[in-house]
Amino acid sequence: MKIWVVSETKDGQLCRVSRELAAFGATLGDVTVLRVTGERVPAVAAAAALAERAKSDAPDLILVGATPSGRDVAARLAAKLKRAYLSECTELSVKGGSIEATRGMYAGKVRARVRAALPAVCSVRPNAFPLADGAAEPTITDVAASPATGLTFVRFEPSPASGGRVPLSEARVIVSGGRGLKGPESWSQVEALADVLGAALGASRAVTDAGWRPNEEQVGQTGKTVTPDLYIALGISGAIQHLAGMTSSKVIVAVNKDPDADIFKVADYGIVGDVFEFLPAFTDAVKKVKAAS
Amino acid sequence: MRFLICIKQVPDSTTRVKVAPDGTSIVTDGVTWSISPYDEYAIELALEHKDTAPDTVVSVITVGGPRTKDALRQALAMGCDDATLVAGEGLGPLGIANALAAAATELKPDLVLCGKQASDDDQGFVGPALAEALGWPHLSQVTKISSSSPGMEYWKETEGGHEVWTATDPVVLTVQKSAKDPRYPSLPGIMKAKKKEIPERPVADVPDPVKIEIVKLEPPPARGGGKIFKDGDTKAHAAELATLLRDEAKVL
Repeated sequence: MKIWVVSETKDGQLCRVSRELAAFGATLGDVTVLRVTGERVPAVAAAAALAERAKSDAPDLILVGATPSGRDVAARLAAKLKRAYLSECTELSVKGGSIEATRGMYAGKVRARVRAALPAVCSVRPNAFPLADGAAEPTITDVAASPATGLTFVRFEPSPASGGRVPLSEARVIVSGGRGLKGPESWSQVEALADVLGAALGASRAVTDAGWRPNEEQVGQTGKTVTPDLYIALGISGAIQHLAGMTSSKVIVAVNKDPDADIFKVADYGIVGDVFEFLPAFTDAVKKVKAAS
Repeated sequence: MRFLICIKQVPDSTTRVKVAPDGTSIVTDGVTWSISPYDEYAIELALEHKDTAPDTVVSVITVGGPRTKDALRQALAMGCDDATLVAGEGLGPLGIANALAAAATELKPDLVLCGKQASDDDQGFVGPALAEALGWPHLSQVTKISSSSPGMEYWKETEGGHEVWTATDPVVLTVQKSAKDPRYPSLPGIMKAKKKEIPERPVADVPDPVKIEIVKLEPPPARGGGKIFKDGDTKAHAAELATLLRDEAKVL
């Protein structure tokens, strides 16, 4: 079976999810790891270049990391090739001439097993196929993006609050804040904890709607669905839309002063207490625990 | 300028979704149906543009059964000008994209907007597939559009900020949640929407090459039974938690 991994690089490095997929793909068949070259390549141009190459290569399965840009290219490529596209898969298996995938629906409120005929395109969640230590660095084949798309890039407008952290959708640890943090000024403490953990920052919808944090940090329905190893919910009560977006995290920690908060129903560890007492103490404790190991 | 917004009717986001006994569908009894949230943001972007440029025409369209007319009426009540129902059920994603493309070719919009994904299947396939069917470029994760000369500027959310793009020709945008919440229908809007005709067009013989079969739906694995520290010293619990996360959960 011929597998393609359409990879992404960041600062010259192959993204972790691309390496995860290269390693996973190798368990299914012959893998080619491709990279579309060029700056700010629109999905249509990346998909056109890949589709052209697919004519001769004829991959049975195309795997793409389910990052925002990965999903974008994957969907356009599948449409161009007139193939099935399954997005944000968390498990994959090939059965006869079909691919079977597990993926979330209804913003994570339902787990679906779906099937489509091969050849197919799948975008796969980061962390779905964890990378073994010492996995070999895959060889990358460059594909030049197709030119002229009818779109012109004008400029980049940075958002004020993002400080070079791991993107939320790829993060293995997420520290997320809710209304219980009382105001945007509390985020210096949240960031201090995130720094110690090497975590991405998340937020509840109440927080982004209030403008305390940028929209891109919202976790849950109409925000991001995340599946980190560790999700720490601070002052988040756990509205159904929020729970839907984070309930597949491996380990969930919740801190809230309301013992009846719904977030405790999904938590592996919970502390009923004052988040402002918790934060500095926990940040210190994590520092010590990390230093000792 | 004419906007065409493709919407989908889905269970309202507050719905507690239950899997039906057949294991491959959801219980629809008692479900409140609504426009998919990202589609509402798409409508809002178009209506905001209309607020500043009153000659803008905002059309909405959906593919579905009779019930989906309610979603179109909801869009009209928000302030959209006209609505079209492409009557057909059971199409695959590329069939839907092709049906929308056939309608778009007749309606001749300058800009097509879709939500970045529908909140039921969460696929995010139809928007880019519609662009492909039309032979247009598309931009995903758009949170803002603004007039510039010439043409329009489209703000695409990306890591750490927004890429701003222009296009002189028609383009498909898939819309991400933006800063401004979708407006509620006004009472006069609701009254006016009730009286509007919603023309139906059949799904013509569009190609529908891809089927995605649902093998099984289940609720996400149950969680709970976690260690909850209810009383006592928060600071001491914080320290204990750090140790547990390292030694028991093994995530530190």
